[in-house]
Amino acid sequence: MMERLISVCLWLILVSRVAGNAEGDALYALKTKLADPNNVFQNWDPTHPNPCVWFNITCNAENSVARVDLGDANLSGQLVPELGQLANLQYLELYSNNISGTIPEELGNLTSLVSLDLFSNALTGPIPAALGKLRKLRFLRLNNNSLTGQIPMSLTTIVSLQVLNLSNNRLEGDIPVNGSFSVFNPTSFRNNGLNNPPVAPQSPAIPSTASTLSGSIAIVAGVALLFSAPTIIFA
Amino acid sequence: MVLHTRVCAVSVSVLVWLLLGCSLRHASQDDIDCLKSIKDSLEDPFGYLNSTWNFNNNTEGFICRFTGIDCWHPDENRVINIKLSDMGLKGVFPRGIEKCKSMTGLDLSSNSLYGSIPSNISDLIYFVTTLDLSSNNFSGEIPPALANCSFLNLLKLDNNRLTGSIPPVLTLLNRMKTFSVSNNLLSGPIPSFNDTITAEDFAHNPGLCGKPLDLCRSTSGGPKTGIIAGAAVGGVTVAAIGVAIGMFFYYRRMVAMRKKDDDPDGNKWAKSLKGEKGIKASYFNIAISDLS
Repeated sequence: MMERLISVCLWLILVSRVAGNAEGDALYALKTKLADPNNVFQNWDPTHPNPCVWFNITCNAENSVARVDLGDANLSGQLVPELGQLANLQYLELYSNNISGTIPEELGNLTSLVSLDLFSNALTGPIPAALGKLRKLRFLRLNNNSLTGQIPMSLTTIVSLQVLNLSNNRLEGDIPVNGSFSVFNPTSFRNNGLNNPPVAPQSPAIPSTASTLSGSIAIVAGVALLFSAPTIIFA
Repeated sequence: MVLHTRVCAVSVSVLVWLLLGCSLRHASQDDIDCLKSIKDSLEDPFGYLNSTWNFNNNTEGFICRFTGIDCWHPDENRVINIKLSDMGLKGVFPRGIEKCKSMTGLDLSSNSLYGSIPSNISDLIYFVTTLDLSSNNFSGEIPPALANCSFLNLLKLDNNRLTGSIPPVLTLLNRMKTFSVSNNLLSGPIPSFNDTITAEDFAHNPGLCGKPLDLCRSTSGGPKTGIIAGAAVGGVTVAAIGVAIGMFFYYRRMVAMRKKDDDPDGNKWAKSLKGEKGIKASYFNIAISDLS
């Protein structure tokens, strides 16, 4: 009886430690795939109960990772699909590095994400359509990379999008103008192989004053003809 | 040969890098000049701009910390939004905004701005998607050039002192979902916008008429009355002239017919004389000589 209780207790402790480290494991997977000459990962210790004490990581009140701030950190290497496991992540800041490879479609699982900044890197491949699942996204800045393919239409369904920058890539196809993309102008799409959106029709509406003038002239002519015709005939 | 191509590649990429860097820096300085110009042209009686709009600090992205300024990226001096609502700002529309070439949102609402909205506004803020100039003292007409700001989703001009009519070309703004001109001094017919724009958006303009407000009335001494009156006068005049001409011809015919009654043979005798020349003359001569 006592032995059973102790083993259950030990098992619970083990499970809790493993659960506490799930986000840490995900972040640690990122560390293994990136080269870090500036040593920004110096205290990223996987034996910690949670990653909240790691440099450049910010947690929320429930000790869950909310921010990853690794912008301008001289990093190179590739992103990892494990990043998609950070369920409460709001800010993913990996801009201005030399990160290559593709954008993992698992980033579409970050349903709390507010800001996705991967700009100024060496990323290739397409923009995953799965990013359309980021229903709270406000800032999407993927500019200055070598991204290819078309802009996924799923992005036009993100109603919270405020700032979009896809410029300076190798994207092609049409620029969506529907949904949330109605508020984006060519500044967001510069320097790509994209087709310009259709231009609005230029024929102006005929103002109503001209038609009344022509109408009145017709009235005068008609009345005059009506009166003078019989007299002329008689003459 | 390999070295030669490698040197070429390196120098080309360096050149491209320099050009890119040049253009980026140029854009950055434009945006700084834009904000400087705005600050210089507007009175700031409550000092809202004075506290944070400090141009002495020149680090990359410093204008992004200014009150009311949003940047495209936090560390790059490139303005995306200018939001200076309800700051007691006084002055005319700040034309220096033209230099914020990447700006997409402009909110100058609830200030004391006056004068007219620039007639070449689309040269100044071409990329703007939201423009809120409501609750100011803007006067003059709504510039038709606004129709060239084809990315406009929101255009609020309500609560000003704008006059004239709503330019029909504004209906070409096919992205526009919010449009308000209520509480101005506008007049004339309302062009047909789409159904999201309701009567409330045009209300409190003494002279505006047409759907969705009351239909424009054609009486009350408008230009249409004058045209109808002119047509009537013109018609009567022409008719009178026509009758006069007709009577003139009729009179002539009457006179001619009376002359015919006095001389039933008419000019038969004269005519016959005219016809035979030589023979008749000789006949006459003989007759005369016979007489003598």
